[in-house]
This record gives sequence, C-alpha cells and structure tokens, in this order.
Amino acid sequence: MSTKTEIPVGEPRITMTRVYEAPRALVWEAMTQPRHVSAWWGGPGFTNPVCEMDVRPGGLWNHVMRFPDGHELEMHFVFVEVEPPGRLVWQQTDHGKRKNGPPTSVTTVTLEEVGANTRWTMVATFSSLADRDAAVAMGFSRPIEASSDRLTQYLPGLAQR
Amino acid sequence: MPTDTLSTTFSALADATRRSILARLSQGDATVNELAAPYDMSLAAVSKHLKVLENAGLISRGRDAQWRPCHLEAKPLHDVAQWVEGYERFWTRNLDSLGDYLKQAQRKTKKGKAP
Repeated sequence: MSTKTEIPVGEPRITMTRVYEAPRALVWEAMTQPRHVSAWWGGPGFTNPVCEMDVRPGGLWNHVMRFPDGHELEMHFVFVEVEPPGRLVWQQTDHGKRKNGPPTSVTTVTLEEVGANTRWTMVATFSSLADRDAAVAMGFSRPIEASSDRLTQYLPGLAQR
Repeated sequence: MPTDTLSTTFSALADATRRSILARLSQGDATVNELAAPYDMSLAAVSKHLKVLENAGLISRGRDAQWRPCHLEAKPLHDVAQWVEGYERFWTRNLDSLGDYLKQAQRKTKKGKAP
C-alpha cells in the first residue's frame, strides 16, 4: 500500500490518495474528533496542545501544532462542507484574503468504502496571495509521485493478527 | 526563502503564456523575437511578460544591447518545487500517522471485545 501524490500539470491542485485497512466510520471519527486528531496530527514527535473543532459548515478548527524541536505552528481553519462519513471540506480562515505568506488552500477529503477498507482522497486546491490563480504555478513543477512503503509497516493488515 | 518572494514567483507563474515562455527557455536562451514567434501577440506584449518574469528573478537578460537573449533562472522554480515537496512531505507524514493511529484504535477495540 502506498501514498500516491499527483500534481496535475496546469492545475492548482495536489491530490493524495491512500487506502486504510479500517472501516470508514472509524476513519471519519479519527479525522473529526479533536481527541483523535490531536493524537495523530503532525506525526511522530509532534504534539498538539490545542485542537478545537466545531465540525459543521462554517464551524472553526483552531489548532496549535508543536514540532519536535519545540516551536509551535498555529493553524486556523473553517469547515466548508461536512457530510459524514464520506466528505469533509475545510479551508484556511484567511484563504484568498492574505497579501503575504505561502499559498493557502481549500482541502477536500473524501472517504470511500473499498470492501472492508477505506480509500482516503485529499484534494488541496491552492490560491495564492497576490493573484488567486497564481497557484497554477504548481503546474510548472514536475509531477511528483511518491510512494510510501512506511505505511506497510503501520498497517500490516487485520487478517494477520 | 522569504514567503513574499515565493508569492512573487507564484504570481509570475500564474500566466499560461509566461509558463510557456519559461518552457521554451528551458531548452536554451532565446531573443525576444524568437520568443514572440509562436504567439499571436505584439512584441510589446511579449516584452511585458518578460519584464514580469525578470522582476520575479525567473529569467535574466543578456548584456548585448542588440540581442539581449533571455536566460532561464532555475532558483525560483526550484523554490516553488521545494515548497510543494514540503507540503507533500507534511501530508505523507500526517497520513502515516493516521494509519498508525487507526491500527492502534482497532487493536484496542479488539482487545476490549475479547472474552
């Protein structure tokens, strides 16, 4: 199993898909309940001192992620679409409003049942600061296809246990 | 790199004509006339695009007063690619971590249900 990343040429989007060996309801719960999210967000060595989620359209998601070296990153999102257990859309609260800084994005995650597994598809659509359409710049960078064999080490499959 | 520079690069790359000019320059230096040839637009319009690319540091112009060939500068593109890769790395790590968490959660549930 691997993560597949695609950056379509000429489009301001990054798409990542992955299949988890877990039921869809559980994956949905793990991504929408703060006590779960704060347990995995960031990855090994990261902690999340703040994770407040008001999971409904227009609800806020305020988050502070602490890096392994101790520095913290504040994140402010707003949920745009909430359709359990299959579709969650959020964006940075300053999406399209900021004059400086890195591009902001609207992130759409869809969860599909694939047998007993769940396919996660994330599409991040970017908008830049000076020009809303500027993130089509993505189209100029080479397509990235990354495989992560690390996942196999994490999800050896329930059948084996 | 400073994010406002990244932002300038993104803006310069937002235009299809400018991206196509850069693609042409990736094959070798070219003069304004050569660059303008494939497009149905005035030399002035092409020069305007070149000015934007030059201001963003994406191209440099030769000193030869008559020809001033354009040259692709790779650094800003490299910075954009790096930013994209950073984003991709963050989410790969994040999704690994979610996978790990789901595995643990299911193990716990299983244990809990055991007789």
